[in-house]
Amino acid sequence: MNSAAEARFRLPVGAAVARAVKVIALDPACDRLVASRGGISFDHAGRSLSGPPPDLVVMVVTAGSDAPAAARIGQICSDRRITTATFVVRAASVTDEELSRTLAQVRPWSLMVVITNDDDYVEDILRSFR
Amino acid sequence: MLRTEQNDLLTQTGPGTPMGGMFRRYWIPALLPEELPGNECPPVRVKLLSERLIAFRDTNGRYGLIDEFCAHRGISLWFGRNEECGLRCPYHGWKYDVTGQCMDMPSEPEHSDFASKVKLTSYPLVERGGMLWAYMGPPELQPPLPEWEFATVPPAHSFMSKRLQECNWLQALEGGIDSSHVSFLHRGDLNSDPLFKGARGNQYNLSDARPVFEVVESAGGLYIGARRNAENDRYYWRITQWVMPSFTMIAPRGDHSVHGHFWIPIDDETCWTWSFDYHPTRPLTDEEVAAMRAGKGIHAKVIPGTYRAVANKDNDYLIDRAAQKAGRTYSGVEGFAMQDQAVQESMGPIVDRTKETLVSTDSGIIMMRQRLLRAIRAIEDGMTPPGIDVAHQKVRSAAVVLPRDQPFKDGAREAMIAQPGVAPATV
Repeated sequence: MNSAAEARFRLPVGAAVARAVKVIALDPACDRLVASRGGISFDHAGRSLSGPPPDLVVMVVTAGSDAPAAARIGQICSDRRITTATFVVRAASVTDEELSRTLAQVRPWSLMVVITNDDDYVEDILRSFR
Repeated sequence: MLRTEQNDLLTQTGPGTPMGGMFRRYWIPALLPEELPGNECPPVRVKLLSERLIAFRDTNGRYGLIDEFCAHRGISLWFGRNEECGLRCPYHGWKYDVTGQCMDMPSEPEHSDFASKVKLTSYPLVERGGMLWAYMGPPELQPPLPEWEFATVPPAHSFMSKRLQECNWLQALEGGIDSSHVSFLHRGDLNSDPLFKGARGNQYNLSDARPVFEVVESAGGLYIGARRNAENDRYYWRITQWVMPSFTMIAPRGDHSVHGHFWIPIDDETCWTWSFDYHPTRPLTDEEVAAMRAGKGIHAKVIPGTYRAVANKDNDYLIDRAAQKAGRTYSGVEGFAMQDQAVQESMGPIVDRTKETLVSTDSGIIMMRQRLLRAIRAIEDGMTPPGIDVAHQKVRSAAVVLPRDQPFKDGAREAMIAQPGVAPATV
């Protein structure tokens, strides 16, 4: 029962999911990117998780930057059972050692890490989460 | 999720479509050599990218892939007589060579030269590494022949299979990109399948059932890394390669052969799942090949004389609910290949991506879709898409143990390049 004709009888409306996604910049360089998605800048990171818990927290960080906020946010999310993901935006000039430093800080606190050299992918992925 | 127009853009691969135009820039697997076993053997119907074609092997062993239908009155050349360096239509005797050029019109007057003005569409069809490859794009943009490692090792080192998959190519590829389903859909098979079991790395799978994923752009597509805790403050990484448009390669286990797939559209609602297994440094054993033929590993047992799986949608994939209940298989469907195929086909002929509910572990799939959309735009701007450069094809998957803060793209850099005579990186 999997023909194209049968596919017409699938329920026309998808499961209603209102998902709250909080996007947090972990360093000033990501502020612009995050602000365009209505996210929170890094210096508000600690206060940004008050109120109703989001379904997903997405942290955005520039490769090579220092990101101690990742641990603060990650611990809060862990305590409140909130899923986390991190996007690492890597410029071509960033060395592997610099990337390593950032990964060491975000990996312990992220279910998913995406490393990209194009911050447009960050917007695309965030748009995919309803 | 995607908008309807994006879903259409990625799933439609017929003539004149943007994604179809992208597929046509690459050499794609078309047939197994066994389908054209000898000179002047019977022709074979082939449908690729929604084009109906005929493949044949002429008197001199040259391969041809031409329009299925005679230029005269549209008869299928599947009925054709393969003789004297061409395929002759049985209706009025028009004969075509492997380039589609009409060579003879016996129904016309002897002095007529009209045959020279009739030529069917044809595409080059070449054998390389245990597959027949077709290129269906503009002749002036024909790329170099494929250099995937499995296609360049000695024949005894590799095994190929193909099977019909009754859904769109993209949802099948997404299953190959998605590492997060392995812990569920394929649970149980890691320790029982002869082509997977016994590897030391499997212990990491069993001891850490919640892998964390990392997605990194590569020159040809993406690296998808799945990490699990290992001893001594390190991570066990399994790194899958995706090269555009539809090649994947899965990380090896122990000294088992390495495997991967291509998904090639037949039309918008069906595709071929091509599966390869190979070992860079040793021949496959008789036992390994026998297991592959029996549908173990990533291969499926097919109905003799066809390339349709024995377990298919018409018999509910021979689902065993008792096995599902007892935990012998997670889904009740037996075998890696059909476990994947069953769930992917159940999504519908073309899954409606406007209705999906993606989660963070789907980031690899999301990145893949965006990479494809950008590649389509790049082609429209006159650029060459990733995956055509043979350097993008000389890649390997890898299984490695690395320090916790090391990027896997750095730590496994050499391991992810195909190097003749060098064993794969595996645990």
